[in-house]
Amino acid sequence: MNKRTHTVLAAVLAAPLALAAAGCSGGKQAGGDGRNGKNPAASEGSVVGGTPQKGGTLTVLSNQDFTHLDPARNWVMNDMDFGTRLLYRTLVTYKSAPGTQGNQLVPDLATDLGTPSNGARTWTFRLKRGVTYEDGSPVTARDVKYNVERSFSPDLPGGADYAARYLAGAEGYQGPAQGKHLDSIKTPDDHTIVFELNKPFAEFPNATVMPTFAPVPQGQDKGPRYDNRPFSSGPYKIESYDRGKKLVLVRNDKWDPKTDEVRKAYPDKLVVVMGLKANQIDDRLIASQGPDASAVSWGALRPESAAKVLPRADVRKRLLAESTNCTDMVQMHTGRAPFNDVKVRQAVQYALDRDAVLTSSGGPAFNDLSTAYMPAALFGGKQPDTLKIPATGDTAKAKQLLKEAGKPDGLSTKITVSSGDKGRAEAIQQSLGRAGIKVTIETVDPSAFYATIGDTKNRTDMVYTGWCPDYPSGSTFLPFVFDARFIKEKGNSGNHSLFRDDAAMKQMDRIAAMTDATEAGRAWQRLDGEILAKAPTVPVLIRRWPLVLGTNIAGAYGHTSFGGQIDYATVGLKDPAKSQG
Amino acid sequence: MILYIGRRLLGVIGVLIAIAAVTFTIFYVLPSDPAAAACGKSCSAERLTAIRAHMGLDQPLWRQFADFVTGIFTGRTVGSGQYALHCDFPCLGYSYENSQAVWDLLMDRLPVSASLALGAAVLWLLLGLTAGVTAALNKDSLTDRALMVGAVAAASLPVYFTSMMLIYGLIRVAGLLPYPSYVPFGHDPLDWASNLLLPWLALAVLYAAMYARQSRNSMIETMAEPYIRTARAKGLPRRTVVVKHGLRAGMTPILTLFGMDLGGLLAGAVITESIFGLPGIGRLFYGALSTGDQPVILGVTLLAAAFIVVANLAVDLLYAVVDPRVRY
Repeated sequence: MNKRTHTVLAAVLAAPLALAAAGCSGGKQAGGDGRNGKNPAASEGSVVGGTPQKGGTLTVLSNQDFTHLDPARNWVMNDMDFGTRLLYRTLVTYKSAPGTQGNQLVPDLATDLGTPSNGARTWTFRLKRGVTYEDGSPVTARDVKYNVERSFSPDLPGGADYAARYLAGAEGYQGPAQGKHLDSIKTPDDHTIVFELNKPFAEFPNATVMPTFAPVPQGQDKGPRYDNRPFSSGPYKIESYDRGKKLVLVRNDKWDPKTDEVRKAYPDKLVVVMGLKANQIDDRLIASQGPDASAVSWGALRPESAAKVLPRADVRKRLLAESTNCTDMVQMHTGRAPFNDVKVRQAVQYALDRDAVLTSSGGPAFNDLSTAYMPAALFGGKQPDTLKIPATGDTAKAKQLLKEAGKPDGLSTKITVSSGDKGRAEAIQQSLGRAGIKVTIETVDPSAFYATIGDTKNRTDMVYTGWCPDYPSGSTFLPFVFDARFIKEKGNSGNHSLFRDDAAMKQMDRIAAMTDATEAGRAWQRLDGEILAKAPTVPVLIRRWPLVLGTNIAGAYGHTSFGGQIDYATVGLKDPAKSQG
Repeated sequence: MILYIGRRLLGVIGVLIAIAAVTFTIFYVLPSDPAAAACGKSCSAERLTAIRAHMGLDQPLWRQFADFVTGIFTGRTVGSGQYALHCDFPCLGYSYENSQAVWDLLMDRLPVSASLALGAAVLWLLLGLTAGVTAALNKDSLTDRALMVGAVAAASLPVYFTSMMLIYGLIRVAGLLPYPSYVPFGHDPLDWASNLLLPWLALAVLYAAMYARQSRNSMIETMAEPYIRTARAKGLPRRTVVVKHGLRAGMTPILTLFGMDLGGLLAGAVITESIFGLPGIGRLFYGALSTGDQPVILGVTLLAAAFIVVANLAVDLLYAVVDPRVRY
């Protein structure tokens, strides 16, 4: 989950304005439809600013540095967008298109989406010819293998773990130190790479979108320091990178657009200015003066700034608000009392006023209510509402469930939230309190949050956290959140409800082995509903990623497969002469 | 004098080691785990163990601390295996978040914090001392009252409030200045100053107010001393009496205050740097806190402590220069 700091008071102040501007009543919403709030972006699913002109400097205003740019370590949604769209290419990538079209896979380094054999246990990719690095040397299959191998090194932590989960013989492998290589990746020639998996994996091409499957030539590898200067195979290369201050990208003149159907590379230069105050970024982009007209924001618009954007049509038409596809959940400790009783968990499910949590999160302009675990993108655009629980909750039903569970007088429990989620926790506390569930809130600094809730013995009964799928498939959501085989006593992540359900796990294995993606998709959707009925966690909301663009920005849309972040493959400027630098 | 300095320097080293030990221990008992934070959102137990070993976190606390202290004096190898890195003297550890040695990070950010601190110090000393001395020389007059009411009001304003007001008034409404963005002095001195003017003002308003009150009280006390009366009785010009005899002695408590304030600011003004988006040590510290980057937190803590204790020592030595009555 992305860490965001929200000021509760400001959010509450902004919410009514947000509601009004988004065309909602401002009152409580009826029904449990996850799309109650209308997307405030005037251009949902389309491109803002028309077609860009080639040239100029695009500025990115950011309040932070990247987590990692080294492709072996890059596994944060926004960073993956930036890295794979600008600096390095992967075997397969997402189509450059707004809306659900952005879910489509297209070949990138590879000539196609890979060829399965041996019942989807073996995957072969052929690489395009003529793809080069920034020094003109050719990208080879060995370089892709090398980067996958280095992602196993404990010196280079943080990257996606699909290779570790699926490659045969990967157990105990710790990277290419002392010439140790993975036999399950074969490179019979410079343009062919073959992956041998430990089990069938029909969606393997989706995993090859991850930066782990970008090439790194062995001669350029500088270990942890590679993070400061990845060697480019994309349309831009790093001119300078002062960590936490500024990153400057200039054109990689060795990149050949004829080999690349995804990246348009409109600007001559990209400058990322880091460490700015988030509210000032909002103000600067709303004002869009001088060089700020050619700027975009890296981080989402703060809920507090909604009041400055939503009532103004001229600013609203420069607003993107694509879904992050990340589901926020109240997760209960199913391994001990009282939440080892399904009736008690269902009582929480019914008591929760999701509408109140949504209001405390900036209102429907910035969030959608959630009625299932997987986001709408994994249900073909709309989540089902199988339980039909009102958005404001059903206190009477919750009380009845508590009575059936032998707790007619209610119960007392604790919830741990990251400090940025305190407002949401208070909304949860109030709504559960109405049903007799007294909740004490424990707020933890973001730096210690995951370590605190990952300590399964000492953590509280409830935690508020969520999950974002890495790509549009249930296999990257449900197993991470509900497969008991990944639970660890300390450092636990994903399955924070500690849900142990043999039937669900059997289903997961069965679906993962399916070779028909459509059938697998339907099976994941069914399994989502089956787990929801057992209520290990309560889905609450799905945040959007609101971004205000400068007036000189063109070709911008929030990419649905990159958590709503701007697609850096296609963004550019209306008039390059108006940009500076 | 040399003996005194030697003794004090030993004390400085002792204080720094004690601070390092305390900070180390605090990290050890905190629930945050740098290895888990580095490992990513889905991390197997085996991988976590390997990362912990690579970072040296599997070693006992005393061993980690001994390695850390040794590294400061001799440098050390950080990590293990294929990508083991040599961290040069003075090694304050390695930031896995920033992929840089902590010392390099600190030295990279120090010019920003130093620019901020020194510029603000010049402003607040000028404003504060002028106001304080003027008020003292015109004790109980309308000028005195007006200056002191102004000082109390300014001292009551939190720096984030002043900063926001300055940004709102001078940047957003009047459009007189750009949003601050640090430009190195060597790059363009004028640009350097124009970008730092607002943060300087924000800090100077707060500190000048405190210095005005302090220097007024100090000057009033000094000007009542018998030797000032003697100087006046000897017929020395007012300027000589005030500046040479009064101000010099009256500055001793101001010097103490100044040493501590400047020392603290050199190690980063967290709020000011964060509000104005200046990539100084304060901002680095803020970022390290939110990502749990323990080597950086420890490095900044030590640097801040070093600035304070060294400033303290410098102040003690300067007493002898400023006040003829002090001898070592």
